[in-house]
Amino acid sequence: MGQSLAAPAVARATTARSAGSQNPAPRPRRNWAHTRASGFALILVLLALWEASSRLGWVQGQSWPPFSAVLVAAWRGTLGGELSLPLLSTIGRMLAGYAIGCSLGVALGLLLGANRWIRWIVLPVVEMIRPIPIPAIVPPLILFLGIDDALKVFVVALASFFPALINTMAGVLGVDDVLLQTARTFRVGWSRTVLRVVLPATLPAIASGLRVAIGLALVVTVVAEMIAGSAGIGYYIVQMQYALRPDAMYAAVLCLAVTGYVLNRLFLIGEARLMPWMGRG
Amino acid sequence: MRDRLLPRLLGILSIVALLGAWEVASRTGALNPVLMPRPSLVGLTLWEILVGGEFLGPLGHTLLLFAVGYGLACLIGITLGLLMGASPVIYGLFEPLVELIRPLPKSALVPALFLFLGIGPATMVTVVVLAAVFPVLINTLQGVRGIDPVLLDTARTFQCSRTRTLLSVVLPAAMPMILAGMRVGLGLGLVLVILAEMLAGESGLGYLILDLQRSFQIREMYAWIAVLAAVGGTLAVIFDWMDKRVVPWRGRA
Repeated sequence: MGQSLAAPAVARATTARSAGSQNPAPRPRRNWAHTRASGFALILVLLALWEASSRLGWVQGQSWPPFSAVLVAAWRGTLGGELSLPLLSTIGRMLAGYAIGCSLGVALGLLLGANRWIRWIVLPVVEMIRPIPIPAIVPPLILFLGIDDALKVFVVALASFFPALINTMAGVLGVDDVLLQTARTFRVGWSRTVLRVVLPATLPAIASGLRVAIGLALVVTVVAEMIAGSAGIGYYIVQMQYALRPDAMYAAVLCLAVTGYVLNRLFLIGEARLMPWMGRG
Repeated sequence: MRDRLLPRLLGILSIVALLGAWEVASRTGALNPVLMPRPSLVGLTLWEILVGGEFLGPLGHTLLLFAVGYGLACLIGITLGLLMGASPVIYGLFEPLVELIRPLPKSALVPALFLFLGIGPATMVTVVVLAAVFPVLINTLQGVRGIDPVLLDTARTFQCSRTRTLLSVVLPAAMPMILAGMRVGLGLGLVLVILAEMLAGESGLGYLILDLQRSFQIREMYAWIAVLAAVGGTLAVIFDWMDKRVVPWRGRA
């Protein structure tokens, strides 16, 4: 469920070992190989290989700029706005679509979970549309919405809608019966039961749906911008591919990676704040 | 029996009603009949494509690329996930790299791969691998992490070798998590292979749909999208069936 890898296996392994032996060492010596230092070293080695392979001409072709050139391009593009402006517009569209798709998805999910008649009628239609891979929906939508912001926001909203809907519904269906019966015993009204009992009990499921959706949202925004290019970082990347400016292209990819990472972090922080009982950081 | 019949019936009715409304709206002109052709016409086109066997070429092309990439992704993801879960050394070595690449929106890598590997099957397979490998890897890792220590202790008591413990104890115990990751990877892989075909503009379902839209063959476009939806749906159904087979002890898929 959670994507955090924060708790290192090392800690668990060492405590297990020291607990197993009768006579635990005063302080288990931390083996160098058991830390993530080797992992960071590996990244540095790979980056150095990248740099060297390009500088020394091991890899032929213009499509392989040295890593330092990518960093320079990223730095210049961010400061000069060539890169940061498309990135910001992409993030804006993504957040708009994400917010719309998730609120509709959660609302409909609550409804579908709460009432089986609505579920029986609506769910088959949802299941009919859901398996279509998102890129395939873009071409027909271009006919209706053109290639501007409306299209991209709609596509992102659609992509975020389904995970939010399905997870919310599953969460509502999985609510402990005892909770509902207790509410009924206390003669709590229907709307109040939904708001005060079902919703809080469903929050973890909703949160996992929203987390799936945010990962998807960024991917899909870039997809839509690539297929129906008019603006944004996805369009920029394709343009740079055609213009044979790989350093700028890789710089854009780098910025997107940072964006994806930051979004995920922010989401986890927000989740820990809003739902401390989830016990995950 | 009746309990299951009613929901099915209602579901079919609602889909029929939706298509009927579309048909009427398109006939009366409430929906632009050029942009949203009548479902009956789309159905007819779909029928022609299916009967003529025309769908086999592009569909086979896309599915083959997808299958190879997805298979590789599962293989790599599960192997690396098991190893990372079992050995702190391997975990420390790969974790930072995985965390570096994972947050990347994989769609952004497609043009980069075109430049680097050229446009061809190798690129498509790589794209699918990149898309599907991380959900599988992360879930495998978490499945291994979440394993009941009693199971491991038992294996140790019986003096199972490390390899045997990994294959006969850890792998089955992590299977529900692994399959959940493979499920996520399935959808992502399909998205990415379609996108890559659209951007490459050579062949396959993705290319075909975009090409039909650009040449304004709207009816054919919808028919092919229906084919694609059927593929996605079928894959999901097959997967659920397999899931029930492999981990029958899981409550619900």
